[in-house]
Amino acid sequence: MPDDKQPAEPERGQAATVEGRYERIKAAEAARQALLTRPRFSFRTQIFLGFFLAFLFSFGIATSMVITIYLVENKMKFLEIASEYVTEIQQARRFEKNYFLYGTNLQDALEQVYLAKTILEKNSDELLRVAGDKRDSMIIPHLQRYEELLKRLAALESEPDSPRLNQKKKEIEMEVRQHGQEMVSFAQDVMTKEKESMARMVARSRNIHVLSFAVASIFMVYIAYFLGSSLLGTVNRFQGYAQRIAAGDFTPITPIRRFRDEFTELAITINQMLQELEAHEATLVQSHKMRAVGTLTAGVAHELNNPLNNITLTAHALLEDYREMNDDDRREMLGDLVNEAGRAQSIIKNLLDFARESGAQVEPLDLVALLKDTTHLAANQIKLSGIKMEFSATDNLPRVHGDAQQLQQVFLNLILNAMDASPKGGKIQVLVVPADEPNFVAVKIIDFGSGIPEHILGSIFDPFFTTKTKGKGTGLGLSVSQGIVAKHGGRIMVSSREGQGSTFSVVLPITTLPARIGGNMPRSGALS
Amino acid sequence: MSAQLKVMVIDDEPIVGKRLGPALEKMGCQTETFVDPAAALGRLAECEFDVVVTDVRMDEVDGIGVLERVKALSKRTKVIMITGYATLEVAHEALAKGAFDFIAKPFKPEDLRQAVARAAEALGIQGPGAAASQA
Ligand SMILES: Nc1ncnc2c1ncn2[C@@H]1O[C@H](COP(=O)(O)OP(=O)(O)OP(=O)(O)O)[C@@H](O)[C@H]1O
Ligand SMILES: [Mg+2]
Repeated sequence: MPDDKQPAEPERGQAATVEGRYERIKAAEAARQALLTRPRFSFRTQIFLGFFLAFLFSFGIATSMVITIYLVENKMKFLEIASEYVTEIQQARRFEKNYFLYGTNLQDALEQVYLAKTILEKNSDELLRVAGDKRDSMIIPHLQRYEELLKRLAALESEPDSPRLNQKKKEIEMEVRQHGQEMVSFAQDVMTKEKESMARMVARSRNIHVLSFAVASIFMVYIAYFLGSSLLGTVNRFQGYAQRIAAGDFTPITPIRRFRDEFTELAITINQMLQELEAHEATLVQSHKMRAVGTLTAGVAHELNNPLNNITLTAHALLEDYREMNDDDRREMLGDLVNEAGRAQSIIKNLLDFARESGAQVEPLDLVALLKDTTHLAANQIKLSGIKMEFSATDNLPRVHGDAQQLQQVFLNLILNAMDASPKGGKIQVLVVPADEPNFVAVKIIDFGSGIPEHILGSIFDPFFTTKTKGKGTGLGLSVSQGIVAKHGGRIMVSSREGQGSTFSVVLPITTLPARIGGNMPRSGALS
Repeated sequence: MSAQLKVMVIDDEPIVGKRLGPALEKMGCQTETFVDPAAALGRLAECEFDVVVTDVRMDEVDGIGVLERVKALSKRTKVIMITGYATLEVAHEALAKGAFDFIAKPFKPEDLRQAVARAAEALGIQGPGAAASQA
């Protein structure tokens, strides 16, 4: 036998419905304000910004690459010049050496020096740029000095009979060799340095590229991840909202993030929709109540006929026999009139109290008294269908916190269901007892009627599920009841066996649990 | 046949019996009133009544039960049903089972007197009608 079809499962609070519509409207407006007052940072902007940053970054990398290539080009050009220059000078030195060793022509050496000079002159600007003031302080003076020495040597050669020729030649030779040596080694030095610096530059540029590629990849991954996760996260969040709304929790959506985005409008629209859903739910509850009132009117009309009949009979008796009666008889009859009028009034008042559309009022309730009223309300209808109702309650039960009218509607729905299920001559038991779990009170409505087949037991709480003929049942009774009970932090449980009857138990938290009202309330999951 | 019509009134509302008793006696009927239908049925077994006036809806035995019982005991007895909330169903059932008339609550004492007079006429008793008009 399936018992407890709705396991309790804590969900977000819905106390606001019990607190009244005004509170809900205020909450919705507050949520709207909170949603809108945030600075706007839309996903569009985020995507744009991400791409813009990526663009800036690649632009930077490209620029650095162009600059590096330009610098390397320069170095290469310089090296080219330098190596040409070094070749010419080395040639000159070779001629110079030959001259000293074998007395060959010195003119060839001079020619090489001129060539070297032309190279320097032709690339003078370039040389200045790459070699800086070394061009004027070292390279050119060295070359000039060398040329001058060679020229002096040539001059000596042209007057072979000059005194101390050999000694002078020796002196010059020393100096020529030294300058030649320095010139070459200096040029080679510069070349080596430039080569090294170029190699460094290439290596650095390669490192920068590898690094920036890594950074760019990380950056792109981060942007993709950030955008993706914040988009997906928001979509998931809204899916959560949809689920809780489907479960009947109409608390408005409040902002989670610091910025407004495209989803903000969605949240505001959903909040508006929630308000309307709420209003519709209230209308539904009210209209279902009026249906129950309609069902009860037959019984109430019958009930009302009794005091009315007594009044009519008594009044006519007074009219007919007033003179023949003694004072005591008259007084008795007048007393009857007053009593019967009061009785009629209380019958109507009971129904009207229930039918009246009142704002939700939460107060500590005496469940036993509430159920006595409810059973009385239904008593005539039940008597008309030839069914007996038994009521029993445990003494001194603690009060529960709730809205009397709404809870009365729940119990009435259950009693009417039990009545519909019972055969003529059947019996309905209503019990108010402490629940199995501590701090809860249970109201049990037991019938010995048709029972509920196992295969539909899971659906009876669904809205519009009914096995009754059109016009007899709307299928909203249990769904409305479950909504009301859930809002009170309680639960409806059912156990039934086909052909033997059903027991519906409503468990409600007692007032010593203040946290349950207005805070988180457990809610049965069957509606979701 | 005696000129005095024997009438029994059954209604679980005590005031009904209290008011109808004197009202019927005024037209010359001999009236007994009952609040408890079971007691009324016991009395019916002891003695034959000309007319039985009964409420349809009562807790233990309903009006239909009374009607069946009366008809089983005495075919000639006329049964007048008082119904609070007349349903066609009950009316049909009652008529099929031999009820003489219906009176819907709320009614005046005079309404019942006329119904009883018609029943007396149907029974062939003259007295009560004359008594009523003299009152
Ligand atoms: N005590 C019960 N015994 C047997 N079946 C029941 C009982 N209570 C509910 N049911 C089944 O659950 C269905 C849904 O009940 P619910 O109260 O939600 O709607 P309804 O009674 O059909 O319509 P309405 O309440 O609007 O008159 C019923 O149609 C019936 O089949
Ligand atoms: Mg129902």
